[in-house]
Amino acid sequence: MLTKFQAKLFFLIGTFLFSAIFLFLTFDSLRYVYSNPSAKTLSDEVIRGKALWEKNNCMGCHTILGEGAYYAPELTKVYERRGPEWIRIFLKDPQAMYPGERKMVKYDFTEAQIGDLIAFLKWNGELDLKGFPPKPEFKPETQTVSANNVSISQPEKFKQICVACHAVGGAGGNVGPALDTVGKKFDIAYLENWLRDPQKIKPGTAMPKLPLSESEIKDLSAYLSQLK
Amino acid sequence: MKYKSQKIAYWFFATCMLLLSLQIVYGFIMGFARMGFDGLHDWIPFNAARATHTNLLVVWLLTGFMGAAHYIIPDESESEIYSVRLAYIQLLSLIVVGVVSIIGFHFNVWEGRKFLEIPRPLDYLVVINVLLFLFNIGMTVWKGKKHTTTGLVLYFGLFSAALLYLPGMIEFNSQTVDSYFRWWVVHLWVEGVWELIMGGILSFLLIKLTGVDREVIEKWLYVIVGLTFLSGILGTGHHYYYIGVPEYWKWIGGFFSMLEPLAFLAMAMFAVSMYRKSGRNHPNTISLYWTIGSAIMSFVGAGFLGFAHTLPQVNLYTHGTLITAMHGHLAFWGAYAMIVLAIITYSMPLLTGRKLWNNSIGLFAFWASNIGMLGMTGAFAVAGIAQVYLERKFGLDFLVVQKEIQVHFLGLVLAALVFTSGIVAFIWNFIKFGTPTDEAVGAEAASGDISLSSRS
Repeated sequence: MLTKFQAKLFFLIGTFLFSAIFLFLTFDSLRYVYSNPSAKTLSDEVIRGKALWEKNNCMGCHTILGEGAYYAPELTKVYERRGPEWIRIFLKDPQAMYPGERKMVKYDFTEAQIGDLIAFLKWNGELDLKGFPPKPEFKPETQTVSANNVSISQPEKFKQICVACHAVGGAGGNVGPALDTVGKKFDIAYLENWLRDPQKIKPGTAMPKLPLSESEIKDLSAYLSQLK
Repeated sequence: MKYKSQKIAYWFFATCMLLLSLQIVYGFIMGFARMGFDGLHDWIPFNAARATHTNLLVVWLLTGFMGAAHYIIPDESESEIYSVRLAYIQLLSLIVVGVVSIIGFHFNVWEGRKFLEIPRPLDYLVVINVLLFLFNIGMTVWKGKKHTTTGLVLYFGLFSAALLYLPGMIEFNSQTVDSYFRWWVVHLWVEGVWELIMGGILSFLLIKLTGVDREVIEKWLYVIVGLTFLSGILGTGHHYYYIGVPEYWKWIGGFFSMLEPLAFLAMAMFAVSMYRKSGRNHPNTISLYWTIGSAIMSFVGAGFLGFAHTLPQVNLYTHGTLITAMHGHLAFWGAYAMIVLAIITYSMPLLTGRKLWNNSIGLFAFWASNIGMLGMTGAFAVAGIAQVYLERKFGLDFLVVQKEIQVHFLGLVLAALVFTSGIVAFIWNFIKFGTPTDEAVGAEAASGDISLSSRS
């Protein structure tokens, strides 16, 4: 068996040897990070966004790069998943987007601050994360929209905002109902009124009043009324 | 109690009990929020509760380590603490920093980096505080009559913990680099230098409780802390798989993470075999329970459950899910909370002269808190595994999955109630001991540091 001196030697050599390797690998990792294309896109906006992210302890609920708490969604790919428009509307009043659901603090960010946060999220989403977060392997592919509707093109706003909660043809969120046959149930006039202020038509509905212009409401209603 | 200045340890331990109680309260706030009852959202949003919960954990454990040092170092170096006055000033300033930080968290004042939420200006106060502590303990060791391995390992652990706090204070613009150095503090603390502290306390307790020869125990202490650093330093790599650093971290981190349980396994086997070799029947059996229990539970929580999700292939799915919370709870409890409770249980009769060992309340405290913590770990495990499959494998929306796993948090809260009942019993016993007295000095014969023919 080891003597006490040998045990001490094992401890000292092990510690110094592996500390040295660790320091060398750290040096190499930093070289890798700073020579990566992502280092060049690290703009002032992104840095300001990071400062806001830390100042408000977003990590206390969310994760980014998988680091943080697990009370709110992983945000590494949120830019890709939701798009800047949706994030912008969401950050203005988080609870309005998910009424009655898990709550997020309303931070009263300015337009510029929201822009910085979006830049920060976009930058992180574009990092090479060696396959994280993984793509779901068993995601069911459903096709419920009827074949004669495929010619209808979705308005831009629909792609940016509505799909976060609603699905059409199996693609989109499932917080709100799927909209594949919404045109059968409601006409254009009803849909327009609904989009102007959902709460007025159905108080207590989970659907928020979205900041839409009159022409966007017309486009969306026209599109939706054709989903039959 | 041989040295009057050991009394300081009591006040550190009392602070521990207070902070632990508060930590549990914030745990419940989060447990209820996860069940859908977040009525406190406007006053204590989840991120405030979370930061308070984890920072209280860190602060009470550090307070416990400091208390342990104030008890162990005089004993090991055979001299009084260098400056009693300095020790009290240091404790008070630690409390002030802690209270100010925690109040700040509720007003959105922090530096939101997981585990390092204390805002920068207060960080500097922490540094001064810890320097005071290290100076005081260091001078005690320096001027002491004896320099034992146990004392030195403990001091080296505390010193390195302080040193490793510094990388967490450098600012980085890139989230990748920020994350990289944040783990220098967090990982190298809990899977590195804190294990030195734990090893030091463990070895002190085993020497006292089992009566096995110091030379034998300290030889194994070297082997264990050697294994800890051999695996733990490069094991930091398991935090670097998916944050944007080179691919080789998957191999290095994965391999050395596989070795990490060895240090904990060695610690558990060491504690159990020393107990079996035990030449004396120390009357403070409860303290022996906590000591051996700590070594075993740290293997289960930190070693085994850590291993269970640090392989890169598994971690790809479990990274950033409740699986981490599962591992975290049992790891911190087994390795660090239990060893602090062990040294408290050991030293209280010697500090106060009241032989309140082996009473039913103490026994209940041990079993209820351990069973409760295992239950909580189980609840997190079931919720976490369900989350991984539904969210990461089947691609369901985050909030949809959270609704599905809400029910497991009822299990969590129930287990937490059992756990809390154990901690309440522990604190009840702690209060019954009363405050330390000078009369306990010299009463070594009754202190338990003697051979008794049978356990009473």
